[in-house]
Amino acid sequence: MRTFIVWMAGCLVVTLMVPVAMAQGWNMPVGVTDVSREVHSLHMTIFWICVVIGVVVFGVMFYSLFRFRRSRGAESANFHEHTTVEVIWTAIPLLILIGMAVPATATLSKMYDPSDADLDVMITGQQWRWRYEYLGEDVAFTSSLATSREQIRGAEARDENYLLEVDEPLVLPVDRKVRFLLTSDDVIHAWWVPELAVKQDTIPGFVNENWVRINEPGIYRGQCAELCGRDHGFMPVVVHAMEEEEFDAWLVERKEAAAQEAMGVDREWEMDELMERGEGVYGNICASCHQPEGQGSPPAFPALAGNQQLIEDVEWHLDKVINGVSGAAMPAFRNTLNPVEIAAVVTWTRNAWGNDTGELVQPAEVAERLAD
Amino acid sequence: MAPKLPPHHPVEQSTSTAAGGQAAEHPAPPRGLMRWLLTTNHKEIGSLYLIFSLTMFFIGGIFALVVRAELFQPGLQLVNPEFFNQMTTMHGLIMVFGAIMPAFVGLANWMVPLQIGAPDMALPRLNNFSFWLLPVAFTLLLSTLLMPGGGPDFGWTFYAPLSTTYAPPSTTFFILSMHIAGISSILGAINIIATILNLRAPGMRLMDMPLFVWTWLITAFLLIAVMPVLAGVITMMLLDINFGTSFFNAAGGGDPVLFQHLFWFFGHPEVYIMILPAFGIVSAIIPTFSRKPLFGYASMVYATASIAVLSFLVWAHHMFTVGLPLVAELFFMYTTMLIAVPTGVKVFNWISTMFRGSISFEPPMLFSLAFVVQFTIGGFSGLMLAISPADFQYHDTYFVVAHFHYVLVPGALFAILAGVYYWLPKWTGHYPHLKLSQWHFWLSVIGVNLTFFPMHFSGLAGMPRRIPDYALQFADFNLASSLGAFLFGASQLLFVWLVVKCVRGGEKAPARAWEGAEDLEWSVPSPAPLHTFEHPPTFRPDTPH
Amino acid sequence: MWNVVKSVLAAFFGVQKEDRRREDFEQGRAGAFIAVGILMALVLVLLVALVATLVAR
Repeated sequence: MRTFIVWMAGCLVVTLMVPVAMAQGWNMPVGVTDVSREVHSLHMTIFWICVVIGVVVFGVMFYSLFRFRRSRGAESANFHEHTTVEVIWTAIPLLILIGMAVPATATLSKMYDPSDADLDVMITGQQWRWRYEYLGEDVAFTSSLATSREQIRGAEARDENYLLEVDEPLVLPVDRKVRFLLTSDDVIHAWWVPELAVKQDTIPGFVNENWVRINEPGIYRGQCAELCGRDHGFMPVVVHAMEEEEFDAWLVERKEAAAQEAMGVDREWEMDELMERGEGVYGNICASCHQPEGQGSPPAFPALAGNQQLIEDVEWHLDKVINGVSGAAMPAFRNTLNPVEIAAVVTWTRNAWGNDTGELVQPAEVAERLAD
Repeated sequence: MAPKLPPHHPVEQSTSTAAGGQAAEHPAPPRGLMRWLLTTNHKEIGSLYLIFSLTMFFIGGIFALVVRAELFQPGLQLVNPEFFNQMTTMHGLIMVFGAIMPAFVGLANWMVPLQIGAPDMALPRLNNFSFWLLPVAFTLLLSTLLMPGGGPDFGWTFYAPLSTTYAPPSTTFFILSMHIAGISSILGAINIIATILNLRAPGMRLMDMPLFVWTWLITAFLLIAVMPVLAGVITMMLLDINFGTSFFNAAGGGDPVLFQHLFWFFGHPEVYIMILPAFGIVSAIIPTFSRKPLFGYASMVYATASIAVLSFLVWAHHMFTVGLPLVAELFFMYTTMLIAVPTGVKVFNWISTMFRGSISFEPPMLFSLAFVVQFTIGGFSGLMLAISPADFQYHDTYFVVAHFHYVLVPGALFAILAGVYYWLPKWTGHYPHLKLSQWHFWLSVIGVNLTFFPMHFSGLAGMPRRIPDYALQFADFNLASSLGAFLFGASQLLFVWLVVKCVRGGEKAPARAWEGAEDLEWSVPSPAPLHTFEHPPTFRPDTPH
Repeated sequence: MWNVVKSVLAAFFGVQKEDRRREDFEQGRAGAFIAVGILMALVLVLLVALVATLVAR
């Protein structure tokens, strides 16, 4: 009997936990798109179906355990079959499932229709950052984790948006249908923002489609959802949804900045300028594998500091950065970085941490190589 | 000292049906290490499997605790992300291939011959070979942790190209060890099928077999069907890594998604391989302690077969977010929902077995009841995951981690523990210590639910799986999970002590150790002598199941 | 033959009467059940695929 009471109490606590927890907001977010609302309502429907079935099934079970205990002198009956009952309890779940399949199918069909989009954004997963390209607009940038290493190591207090902060969020307009084209440069990643109910794998060599129409302006955060190597936990997604006019203004501004940068390619750059720019690019792009001090983490990621081949052969060095190393983790940066950034980061790695070659690479040289 | 050959006695074998007594006729087995290395006895090999599985359970458990310790609070405190990924990967591989599967094979080795009245497994030397492959495979697998670049760090599902182009150099050793473990499984399955189909006691028809035998028969066919697929997919990886092929490399004309299709075509039936024998164990225990025959025996067998067939038709529900065409997405959503029906039939039948029974709460029954409740919770979250649009939100989050752990730990593992408590009196001749078993049970139940229940919430709140560090809003859930994991882990030490104690001594058990137990194994003495059923028993199917 | 189909259908549904089961096991041949079972599995696949295709239109 005591055993039984403990059983009941335990089950009661667990069952009570669920609604309390849900009320606390420990639940799937409703989200800010029509699709995310539908997904949330499917989730709640199937959840309540499970709760009802659970109450009935566990109810009968605990009633039997309580009522037909041997210690209470229960004598066992000897039935072992009842076809009608069996057919009924098989048919009922079948009907419930069919009832559930109908709305699920409708929502799914909606999610699978990216036609008539107002804006196309290419999302490329890279170890371990996202690259966003506004197709036809000449605007593209990478978005990496902005949380500092000190916070991760516990040397500094953690922000409210710890690990969910990026240097440049994906900016999207509200009330416009945005189509996403998703791919990857290396391994499989998955781009996920819970509030948008969009989770889509990015697969190297293939392009997936998805879409979103955001109803409310705001900042929505998510993470990479497919194990993609060492820093899988450190490649957040941040979407900044703006009012339409605000978004248009932002896009124009970015286009101008991109044009400005393109002009910079032709002029002669000073060592100091390149080193300053290169340090930034290195920290943002290269340091996650080759480490902040260029020490690498062999065997997967070779050291750059004191790397003899790198120091002696600038051609080799440029080739690896521009074209990558096939069959290894080093990606090709010819489409990810612009000539100024490549020149800057190559100059920086050739002169930092005791690699004092004194050589500098001009953006114009890089642009020439990229044109080949 | 020259190793002795294993006992070889054609005379007894040829005459065993005609005449002869029991163990007295067998020559003394080799002593010491050689006895265990060369044994062909199903009971000894069964014990070896169980001990191996328990060892792997603790090794895999330590890896899990490393993971849980790192996730105890936000930030990177104990391990770096590379090592964290190796721990999650190794935990999964060891638990699936080294702990759960060998535990079921061990129980099958011990109990299938006893339950069908056979003198041993049909292929005893093969049996020895398939066991000894396992320590080789897992020593190799564990040794990769010490190799330069570390061990496998790409998750137990080892998706390409993370596990090919971007994998550590030790991956080739990982592939070899998976091949060896796979061969072991296939050989074991062949042996079990041969035993069940050929060595049943005269008079025992297929539909007279206990459900544990039935579920294992179906499981063995599943194993033979899918382990070669696993072997194929890891061989393709091997070729991609070392011989320049491009099966999974888009740059060479291959397709990374092909890997996932092949892996899950193996992987989904594999999930059922880990749960069907659990159904069998629970279907033996619940009638025993309800003192009432199993409700709907025929339906149980048919539902098992139905689940086995459906298990080949649902694999892409693990891949809802890879960008399948709409038709495929719908197909796999519908088939996945269908699988809930036969699974539900089983739960209803167990409960009807208890209804109007005469129920007592011995330790095997406690674990079985917990199995029914907790497996059903895992089934519910499985039903939620089947709804493809909602799965876009659940996929690769802790909700999925909660789901499959509910099925495998409070599900499959609890059934294994129930089976061990149920058959320990038969194996050792002693009852396990009652108070200690109850402590073990309650601590395990609390620990396991404290670990895995909060994971539903962290998943719904948006925490992806396989991350070494997390945003602050997930902190409370992870704290609870970590505490639960340490409680659960520690309480398993109690289990080891309890088993050792039971082997050494305790309350003596009679042949029929449990009052309501009906199957053939309870007709041999406790502890079961080394050789049983040398004369086939006459089986009277007087009690319809 | 019809009886075999009915029994296999019962297996797919997961419910069967003890008497029918007994009859099957005493009179039926295993080969017939396995053949029909595989066939019915194919029918199920085609049926679900058909539904999915129609719905996806």
